[in-house]
Order: sequence, then structure tokens, then C-alpha cells
Amino acid sequence: MIWQIDLMVLTLIVFCAFSAVMVKDLLSAAIIFGAYSFLMCLLWTEMGAVDVAFTEAAVGAGVSTIFMIAAIFRTSRSVKHRSRGRRFYKLIGFFAAAVTGMVLLYGQSDFPGWADPNSPASSHLSPYFITHTISDTAVPNIVTSVLADYRGFDTMFETAVIFTAGIAVIFVLRQYRRDQTDVAGTDEVAYQSPIIQTVSRQMVPFIQLFALYVVAHGHHSPGGGFQGGVILGASFILVGLSYDLRSVLKKMGEGPNIIFGNLGVFLYAGIGAVCILLGANFLDYSVLSRILPATDSVMARSHGILGVEIGVAIAVMAIMIAIYVNISSHGKYDKGL
Amino acid sequence: MDVIIASYNYWIYILLMMIGLYAMLSKNNLVKKIIGMSIFQAAIIVFYVSIGAKRGATIPIIEHGHGHGAAEHAVNVMNYVNPLPHVLMLTAIVVSVSTLGVALAIILGIHRRYGTVEEDEIMEKIQ
Repeated sequence: MIWQIDLMVLTLIVFCAFSAVMVKDLLSAAIIFGAYSFLMCLLWTEMGAVDVAFTEAAVGAGVSTIFMIAAIFRTSRSVKHRSRGRRFYKLIGFFAAAVTGMVLLYGQSDFPGWADPNSPASSHLSPYFITHTISDTAVPNIVTSVLADYRGFDTMFETAVIFTAGIAVIFVLRQYRRDQTDVAGTDEVAYQSPIIQTVSRQMVPFIQLFALYVVAHGHHSPGGGFQGGVILGASFILVGLSYDLRSVLKKMGEGPNIIFGNLGVFLYAGIGAVCILLGANFLDYSVLSRILPATDSVMARSHGILGVEIGVAIAVMAIMIAIYVNISSHGKYDKGL
Repeated sequence: MDVIIASYNYWIYILLMMIGLYAMLSKNNLVKKIIGMSIFQAAIIVFYVSIGAKRGATIPIIEHGHGHGAAEHAVNVMNYVNPLPHVLMLTAIVVSVSTLGVALAIILGIHRRYGTVEEDEIMEKIQ
């Protein structure tokens, strides 16, 4: 909690948000929005939310900027200037935003001060999580234990939402061509830099290794299934950006990718179902000690958390690749950016 | 000064939210509306993480939390920030990138059909 950094970063964030909305060039807006996300990442770290910062760095500043650039590349880059007729909409928007802001400011006056240790949000449920995480689950990272164990239902359905979003993107964009034979023929190779290709090729294995570390070490350090999955997906996206889309599809085809997405959600729900079969509640991992060798019920919860994190990572990776491939190729799967 | 420190995060989150809301309502370009939506989402995350902050506390990872005798160390609640908002927002960020993907996919579908992403031109072509 360093309030000087907090004030400074928040002020910069407001500048970024304002210029991302106001700038006429959409590519600049996307890049400024990436900077906005990265400043957010600094802000979360300053407030102690390291897991959120990690996710924001991988997702907000990394993957979502790429998605936005891909969409702008496929549509148009500049905003058409309107002088007539828009003033009414601007006035309405400004008025609505001002009124809502006033109401929220009025409501804010009752809040406890920022970083108040005795605020209601910090005094009822969260002390239980902080004091019991070691004795219940043997996981030092409280965020991981709450994410995958105490609030396992929540995370399972968030994973299902991500899976649904990926399927929706495929449904909206995917175009199947009658003649799939000429895919190999229409290989227009754009300018490809050998330096970028070589460096990317060297980096991809290390990125993937790091992603696996983030998934496996989420119990003890910031990280977990969501972050690791996004980094894994980003390694494939890096191949797509530095080479072409076909290299990605050779490594991870459309069919296997969707199967991976299903498998991730299925793994999560399946571990919950195994708990039911062993006679406990859904997602109550402590009964897994009966089938896992040499574990007591506390370590079984730790292993159950690892299992569902792997499921989340697989699902998130597959969906990130699916969204990138569909947006960058406009659903045709022939060439990317 | 104390008043400013106590409520600066909340003022800024309201300001960011209103910038996002204004962009969603008033901008003519659909990509700009999506950027406004993302700014709005990030503002809500600012709000939640600000609620979880605690003065004098460290990140929510228990020290001496692994190995033998880990359970014997007493854990003082005041030493760790509130992890619950972090969990909620961590999943919200990943869901927000998925919804961003869906929104961009719909924009690409609109562009495929009408050849433009400007709101008034699309309205003319629909009528």
C-alpha cells in the first residue's frame, strides 16, 4: 500500500482511458488501451493483488490487445469524422454519464476509506480463508485455494462461460469453404522477418515451459490455471504472428483445439463427479485421498486443486487459440495477420 | 489530504466507469464502443481490488506456508490483504477477454455483411 504510487498510476490511467476513447486512429486506440491495461497491472501489484496483476498482464495487456488489432486489421483503421447529427447522441451520452456518476459519488460517501483494515469486506468471510487455508488445503497461496476449492463452483462455471464464448466466436465467424483443396495453393507469403521468426522460434519452448510452471506452481506463488492457460495460448499466437496461421494450425488443428477446450471443462467437472462417486459432495476433493496413493484428506484437496487448475489451463488455452484464429482469419482459416 | 487518500480510488473508478459509459453510448464506431466496454469492466475491477486492499498488509500468500510444521505458524489476519475480491476479479478478467472476443467476432460479422463498422451507416443500410 503505497498511496503515492496509487495516486500517480490512477491519474495516468485516467489519461490513457480518455485518450483511448478520443483518438481518431483505431490502431492507436488499441495500443493506448494496451498501455491502460498495463498500468492497471501496476496498480494491482501495488494493492497486493499479485494474481490479478499476473492475469491482467497476460490477458489485458497481451492477448486482448492482439484480438483488438486483429479485428481492426480485418475491418477499417480510421474513424469516420461526423460533424452533423452526432451532437444529440453526444449530449445524451454525456448527460447519462454525468447523472450516473453523481449518483455513484453520492453512494461513495458511505464507503469505508481505502485500505481500511477494519472495513466490512475484510472482516467477515476473508479471515476464515486466511487462517484456514493451510490447515484445510495445505495451499499457501490463498487466492488459489479460494479459487479452486472454497469457491470451486464459481470457477467451474466461469470456465464454462469462457468455453461458451469460444464456441460463440466459432459459430459467428467460421466459414466453411466447399473446395478445401486450394488451401495449400493460395499461400501468399507476406514479408516475414527472419530475425523475428528465429527469435520467436527460440522463445516459444521457454514460454510454454514457463506456462506449465505457472500452472504447477500456482499453489505457492502467483499464478494458476487461468494465467498459465493464457500464456500457453499466447505462445501459439506468437507463432501465428511471427510465421503465419498455417504454422499454428499444423501444431494445433481446428478439431484437436475444440477437443482440448471440451477436455478442460470436462476434466474440471469430472473431478467433481468423481468426488460424488466416492460419496462426498460435488467438488469436495478431500475424499480423493481414497484413490490417490499416500495422501491424507488435506493433501487430497491440494491435489484436487492442481487437477482442476490443469483443466482450466487446457480450456483457456484452447479458447484463446480459437478466438485468435477465427478473428485474425475472418473465420476462413487461410491466412492470419 | 487524508480524505483524498481515503477516497481517491473510488473517485477514479467512477470517473473511468463514466468514460467507458460515455464511449458506449455516444461513439459512432463499434470498435470504440468495445473499447469503452473494456474500460468500464476494468473500472469495476479497480473498485473490487480497492475494497480488498488493507493498510500494512502483504500479498495473500502465507509465509512459511509449506513444508513440515507449516500449520504451527500462527497466521495473523491483519498481515494479509483480503483475497476474496482477487479471486472474483481474476476470473472476471479472463471472462472479460472472452466477451471481448465475442464482441469483436460480432463486429467482424457485421462488417462482413454491411461493409462498415460505423453505427449510422449500418442503420442506413438496414432500413
